[in-house]
Amino acid sequence: MKWNIPSLEELEDILWRCTACGTCKEAYDYGPPPFSAPICPAGEEFGFEGFLSSKGKIAYARGILSGELQWNDALVDAIYRCNICGGCQSQCQLDHKPFIPEIIEAMRRKAVTDGVGPMPKQKVIAQSLSSYDNPYQGPRRVRLDWTRPFKKEGKPIKNILEEPAPILYYVGCTGGYNIPVRTVPQATASIFHKLGLDFGILGEQEVCCGSTAMRLGDAEAFQRIAESNLEMFRKLHEEKGVKTIVTSCAGCYRAFMKDYPMADEYGRMMEGIRVTHITQFLHDLFQMGQLKFSESLPWKVTYHDPCHAGRHLTKYIIDKEGTQLWAGAYVNLDEKDCLYDIPRELLKAIPGIDLREMRRIRSNSYCCGGGGGVMTGYNDWAQRNAGLRIQEGMETGADHMVSICPFCHYNLNQGAQGIGSKMKLFDLTELIDKAIA
Amino acid sequence: MTAKKEDKKGKGGKVVKALRTDKKERILKELKTIVGEKNATAEEHILYAYSYDMSFVTPKLPDYVVMAHTVEEIQKLMKFSNKEKIPVVPYTSGTNIGGLCIPERGGIILDLKKMNKIVKLDPEALYAVIEPGVSHGQLANALYKYNLRFGWPVGPPSSSVSSCAISHGIGHMNARYGLNSQEITSMEVVLPTGELVRVGSCAINSDAWHSCLPMPQMDGLFKGWLGSTGIVTKLGIAIHHIPPLLKIFTVSCDHVDDMYSYMLNLSNYEICDDLTAVSWWLSQVPIPYPYKPKPEDAPEWFSYATTFSFTEKEKEARTEIWEKVVNEEKNKGTSIQVTHYPEEALKARTQLPSQIVGSTKNYCKMGGAGISWPGTFTPANRWAPIYKEWKKIMIGRNLSPSIRMSMYRGVHYGMLRAMTPFNKKNPKETENARQAIVECLKVDLDNGGMPYKPPVDFAAEINKRAHPGYLMLMKRLKKFLDPNDIMNPGKLGI
Repeated sequence: MKWNIPSLEELEDILWRCTACGTCKEAYDYGPPPFSAPICPAGEEFGFEGFLSSKGKIAYARGILSGELQWNDALVDAIYRCNICGGCQSQCQLDHKPFIPEIIEAMRRKAVTDGVGPMPKQKVIAQSLSSYDNPYQGPRRVRLDWTRPFKKEGKPIKNILEEPAPILYYVGCTGGYNIPVRTVPQATASIFHKLGLDFGILGEQEVCCGSTAMRLGDAEAFQRIAESNLEMFRKLHEEKGVKTIVTSCAGCYRAFMKDYPMADEYGRMMEGIRVTHITQFLHDLFQMGQLKFSESLPWKVTYHDPCHAGRHLTKYIIDKEGTQLWAGAYVNLDEKDCLYDIPRELLKAIPGIDLREMRRIRSNSYCCGGGGGVMTGYNDWAQRNAGLRIQEGMETGADHMVSICPFCHYNLNQGAQGIGSKMKLFDLTELIDKAIA
Repeated sequence: MTAKKEDKKGKGGKVVKALRTDKKERILKELKTIVGEKNATAEEHILYAYSYDMSFVTPKLPDYVVMAHTVEEIQKLMKFSNKEKIPVVPYTSGTNIGGLCIPERGGIILDLKKMNKIVKLDPEALYAVIEPGVSHGQLANALYKYNLRFGWPVGPPSSSVSSCAISHGIGHMNARYGLNSQEITSMEVVLPTGELVRVGSCAINSDAWHSCLPMPQMDGLFKGWLGSTGIVTKLGIAIHHIPPLLKIFTVSCDHVDDMYSYMLNLSNYEICDDLTAVSWWLSQVPIPYPYKPKPEDAPEWFSYATTFSFTEKEKEARTEIWEKVVNEEKNKGTSIQVTHYPEEALKARTQLPSQIVGSTKNYCKMGGAGISWPGTFTPANRWAPIYKEWKKIMIGRNLSPSIRMSMYRGVHYGMLRAMTPFNKKNPKETENARQAIVECLKVDLDNGGMPYKPPVDFAAEINKRAHPGYLMLMKRLKKFLDPNDIMNPGKLGI
């Protein structure tokens, strides 16, 4: 399988499209009323220009490529102090806009290739991926621990390698290994049971999606994992009748939707298979009348848009040949794949829910601070940043925060504890599970 | 051990100035004592991110970057820097296109972006007091709650209100209220020697920030000096109501003389918030780079005049005046025609602050990273002859003559500038643009114009023509305020 993952050198012309104007540094919308707010977690924490938004990261990239900056511990550290959340990308208006996360990850790939990255704490992830097929250093058997309550209730979950099913529930490592987040796959499986859906899981044979490796710049590890998954998906489709892969993890979803298509054989391997996020999947059922809410939840909630299920799924329209504007021009964007409206529609449909919006939402959502390897590499900072987001949620008067990403789930709950807030983050599946009979 | 600068050539011709390690460590330690461990650095990659901007100005590295959070920290920093004779360059967002924050002589970049409080907003007295890190987007957000506005420039929403105003930047209401610097009502400043001073009404009553008059206008000591006389830590600015009715008058013509005649006539009535004309090349999105000829049948000039009214009758009266002006110009035999201006282009000019205009999307997309200008305040009656010269210079260098003319507050002078994109990755193309811009500047200076927010390359040309008394006074004032020449040294060319 060949992969079209660009090197930093291959992106050089694109990163010279940045004028260093600094539009990326602040979330802004004309309105009216005008909207303005900080958008870059690293900028908030560290302040200096190099840390702030894409302008700063592109300065590093230029310096590395020109040879004016040489790798040293501090520079390597600096390129990993970024959530790659894409908040800056939402603000940029220039031709390099579609490539901003790619430029940052290409810098990290170069660091890994040159033998200086990732950061020591993050290297553990690479080792764990190699030894255990997950980034949590968890033995494979632990991946199934979340299913115990179902066994106890006499509702075991099907192992799709043993019994065919049209739906593969791809749980993801965070839901499987991160104990406080196991409520997410549990709620998902419970919903599936209640709806009478025929689904299965890979159990101990599930392998990480590779997102973490990709975010850290370890393209080799990512490719190895992704190829293994693509082959597994093909096999499941041909031998077990899998037509739909559902994931409740925003990181896995982003990887399947944006990273995997960089493989030249992606189309062939995924032919006949639809990948969907649980939120989209349930929304489809809701619209068809197959998901009905019968219980009331009199909760005041606010909704946090995860980066990976939101703005990262933006499609950018580029005039590659120069027929509309000029070669390489960024023309427009398409947000139809971004899960902005769907979770809100489901939330509002739950009887009793009082949804209160934060200031920074949708493409201007403020990252929880956990992504891009930050939760592993800089846990204190990730937690502090999550505290800022929780604070913003509390300002709405909501009691709880809802999201659709297990990573955000864990980090935001950590953030709430850090600032002594009673606000708790729930996954949308947890609410839906409570609201259906 | 004595301090010594060691020069070494980096790749791309960049001169990397490095202080001797022992002195550097001592200074860094002291800076960290002043602002905190996390807020001072000499890490090379951080310095690098402050070494360049959009302009053609040669990148240069500072020796340190310091992030201040309080006035007291700035005072301590300035006292220390003055004692050690270390250059200090104030920095808010670095989004000017004249290299104003590029440290000509190294030293400390003093990053003020974290001082970003709107200290006071008085919707009745119509003024606000802001810290230097307050952005245009932030202020627009705060003012809109009271249906108020300020002069929004065509810069990024993240750019600093304070830096724009003290550098004589303009906003979208310059035909009505003048430059943003004319909206300044009071100031608090830390001098290069560390003392805290106030000018304007806040100097007499600490809670009164409404006016610089009738006292001696000492705010002039800190406006237009390119950050070379002090650090403005608080700024009082006038704010204005937003009238509900917007009407934009648009015309086009074939000759710059006709456009000048129209603008002069219309400006007499002082009905516009913004009275601007752009050449065909500037009306294109983006500016063609390299130069391409204008289609034969396209007008060479377009103008938009924005007017705001509180009532329909007021709007009708403004419209009546505008129609009268257009008829008069037509009767003179000029080529002025009422024109439909593209909706998107109008939005870009009126829906400010704007990410699209602010990001220079419509300026330098085709060039690649670089944009700079001869940006000038020029007598309106010299616009046409200068434009004709600039056009020759620009086209001769394969650059588009993308010129803007804006009338300021009905006084018959205004902005004349040429937004000049270039491919910054290519040193030859960058130098070509620099030479074109400096050539244009010379023409403007010889016609009575003056550059604003000037790149350092302009200083020699300005001072060459300056009255000896002006230079003597400037040097004397600078020496008085900044005896060791530590504040943004080298920018004034004196």
